Amino acid sequence: MSNDTVSFAPVDPKNYGRAGRLYHGLTTVDFVGRRKIWFSVSLVIIVLGLGSLAIRGFNLGIDFKGGSSWEVLAPNTSILNMTHAVEKAGLTNPSVEKLGSDTYQVTADINALSQSQQAVVTTQVVDAMAKTAHANPIQVSTSNVGPTWGGQITNKAFEALIVFFIAVVAYISIRFEPKMAIAAFIAMVHDLLVTVGVYSIFGFQITPDTVIAILTILGYSLYDTVVVFDRVRDNTQGVLKGGDLTYSEMVNLSMNQTLARSINTSLVAILPVLSVLLIGADLLGATTLRDYGLALFVGLMSGAYSSIFIASPLLAWMKEREPRYRDLAVRVNVRTDRRTLTASSAALQGAQTSASNARPQRSGGASGTIQARARKPKRR
Amino acid sequence: MPPQVGSRRSLIVSLVLTVAIAFGSLAATLSLGWGPKLGLDLAGGLSVVYKPTTQASLADMQEVVTILTNRVDGLGVSGATVNLQGTEVVVSVPGVKDARQVLAAVGQTAQLLFRPVLCEAGVGTKLVKTPLPACAPQYQDTEANLNVNTTTGNPVNIAPDPAFTDIASTKPAKDLAQDTVLLPLLGQPGVRYVLGKSELTGHSIKKAIAQQDQAGAWVVNYTLTSTGSPLWDKVAAENFHQLLAIELDGVVQSAPLIQPNQASFTSFDGQGQISGSFTEASAKTLALAMNFGALPVRLQALTTVTVSPTLGHSALVAGLGAGLAGLALVLLYTILYYRALGLVIVFGLAVTASLLWAIISALGHTAFAPSFDLAGVTGLIVSIGITVDSYIVYFERLKDEARAGRSVRSSVDRGFRSAWRTVLAADTVSLLAAVLLYIIAVGDVKGFAFFLGLSTLMDVFITWYFTRPLVVLLGRRGSSSTSKLSMAAGLHAGAPSE
Repeated sequence: MSNDTVSFAPVDPKNYGRAGRLYHGLTTVDFVGRRKIWFSVSLVIIVLGLGSLAIRGFNLGIDFKGGSSWEVLAPNTSILNMTHAVEKAGLTNPSVEKLGSDTYQVTADINALSQSQQAVVTTQVVDAMAKTAHANPIQVSTSNVGPTWGGQITNKAFEALIVFFIAVVAYISIRFEPKMAIAAFIAMVHDLLVTVGVYSIFGFQITPDTVIAILTILGYSLYDTVVVFDRVRDNTQGVLKGGDLTYSEMVNLSMNQTLARSINTSLVAILPVLSVLLIGADLLGATTLRDYGLALFVGLMSGAYSSIFIASPLLAWMKEREPRYRDLAVRVNVRTDRRTLTASSAALQGAQTSASNARPQRSGGASGTIQARARKPKRR
Repeated sequence: MPPQVGSRRSLIVSLVLTVAIAFGSLAATLSLGWGPKLGLDLAGGLSVVYKPTTQASLADMQEVVTILTNRVDGLGVSGATVNLQGTEVVVSVPGVKDARQVLAAVGQTAQLLFRPVLCEAGVGTKLVKTPLPACAPQYQDTEANLNVNTTTGNPVNIAPDPAFTDIASTKPAKDLAQDTVLLPLLGQPGVRYVLGKSELTGHSIKKAIAQQDQAGAWVVNYTLTSTGSPLWDKVAAENFHQLLAIELDGVVQSAPLIQPNQASFTSFDGQGQISGSFTEASAKTLALAMNFGALPVRLQALTTVTVSPTLGHSALVAGLGAGLAGLALVLLYTILYYRALGLVIVFGLAVTASLLWAIISALGHTAFAPSFDLAGVTGLIVSIGITVDSYIVYFERLKDEARAGRSVRSSVDRGFRSAWRTVLAADTVSLLAAVLLYIIAVGDVKGFAFFLGLSTLMDVFITWYFTRPLVVLLGRRGSSSTSKLSMAAGLHAGAPSE
């Protein structure tokens, strides 16, 4: 029976290519120092989005404006035929769209008519579409939304959003710390603004499903941020005693250590959503899937970006304003014997830091005096 | 206290039990032939959301639910549900062959009111007058004016009050029980009635049936509820030898005379009969209205959706196809990246999927669970990411430990402890979102939140009872680093080729 302990050789970042460094958590991206770049990118997107919102507004679906839509699976017809058919059936100015390979969707607002007239027109349109599609009338899906319905969904969503924000800020404040809660909150607002802006810029239609998806994204983005903050908290716990690294450097280190995870996580989240969007919606024409997929895709991208490039740099920036961390930064900087701490050596130290009980397998090399040991089991 | 990673024996027990429960319950649900309760957008069907036009109490809304349930059940379709969501009533009828017919029956959202007839009025559409003027004394349908002949049962014919000629009928929104209203008579254009305040609603009617009497004429026989009976007698006594209009949804269905063949009022004793110039169809319509029109509040359809079974089916295929393709991509990626550990993810997802399917199918047999719709499918697809992430968090921790020169054996224990904290914190946030959405949101969102929350809980469960024992056991066994697929290879070997 093998009782062998497989031990690993220490790593040297120089031996790895770019992907290798990422794989081993040895990347040296200066997340905190370059925060102005990251913030600017987001700011540009958000300003563009809000500008578009101010000028063009949203492309609201019938669920918000009120209106009716009909859908039928019709392999052998054209948009033109369908339009003629429904106009003859009594619709003025209908919008006819082809979804996926052969699903036709007709949208029109008939709320101005009385209830009984609406019923008549709805029936006529169903019959006309069925005839054009060479199908039975029961094959036609209908959706009729009164003018007040969408407002309710939006109100409920806003209600959910506010309660969610409060709950999340409270939870992170207690579980982690208030500054992390603020950074996570700002990252969420960022995702919300980016998604909303992108929707306005590209004129994507907003449906209740979009609203649901946006709420999910916020949860997901937060999940991502929490994982990164968990590591930041671990690493920064002893940073004051150490005196080798400033808070920002420690955050940078944590970010680089969790970068592989962040990228992997975002990939495994985005792959299924992309599949929903491409296979489910485009190929097979399920509109609900398209509504979800699009919002989730935009939001997940934004969420991945915000947890890496917004939340943590913001946290570092806020923490550096605390006197004790400012003092630490001064101390670290004036230490004359301090080696120039490149990001890469910081990363190397971090690798050791994360398991400081291990036998030091390297002699010399990194300074190795960091006490930033985090995983104290008693703290829970 | 940190979580204890556990002894070898307890790890094996936990692992075997989890796998056995997962696959056992899957086999059980499959052999029972249970499947998830599919939502409308997947199975096809009809969904209507109704809202009361005026403020309604919870008791009123619960009564609405009962009545609508009766209506739907009366149509003989299975699997229909009527739910109260906040102040709205959601009617869902899955897999309906002809949605239109159901819609017509369920969508009849009227309330039934009994009102005394004050006087008759001619045609008129122009003026809107509130309140209405009083009927002139000579046109009033009072007991004295009508002067019913008890032998023939016929009253004196009273002409319409010309004062109402130009006044439009009362709009449905203004048709309130406590007001005097002007409404048309069903099926007789040109005949309208000025009606008094309603003191009796459809609640009082227990049951009404259209039947033929001995002479073969169509009549409607009705019975009253125990609370309705004295009310009815009171109203009937007040209107003895006068017309009592039965109003449904702003239209007078019928305005029969009270006991025209009797010299004085006698108690109805909980039952009665409406006779007159009924056809079979009109008698049945009135009976139906009296049975089911008794909604305590007026309802307005906020949204009506019908999904054809074919489109529903194609949406189901699209959802499943997208889910499977996404899953395959994720699995491929994790195997390439983590090698042997990637296989742990594959096995873990299989266990999770078995458990989820079993739970969803079992829930499909209870009234509690929301039906499995496209929003739910999306919730599950999104949760693939969250589930796999728990593995990634753990494996990345393992890599940290390994980089620091620890053995695989001790890495798996230490790595798990720190990953477990992260997973718990992150899943708590996810669960928080799901629970809040479930409580606050309406409609489809509920299903979405439910399935997201369910799979998040599942993630916590699987991480502790499956991933932990499996990886720790694998780690303790020690593994040869020569195999490309070994655990060490997954942690240590070079990065995946770009």
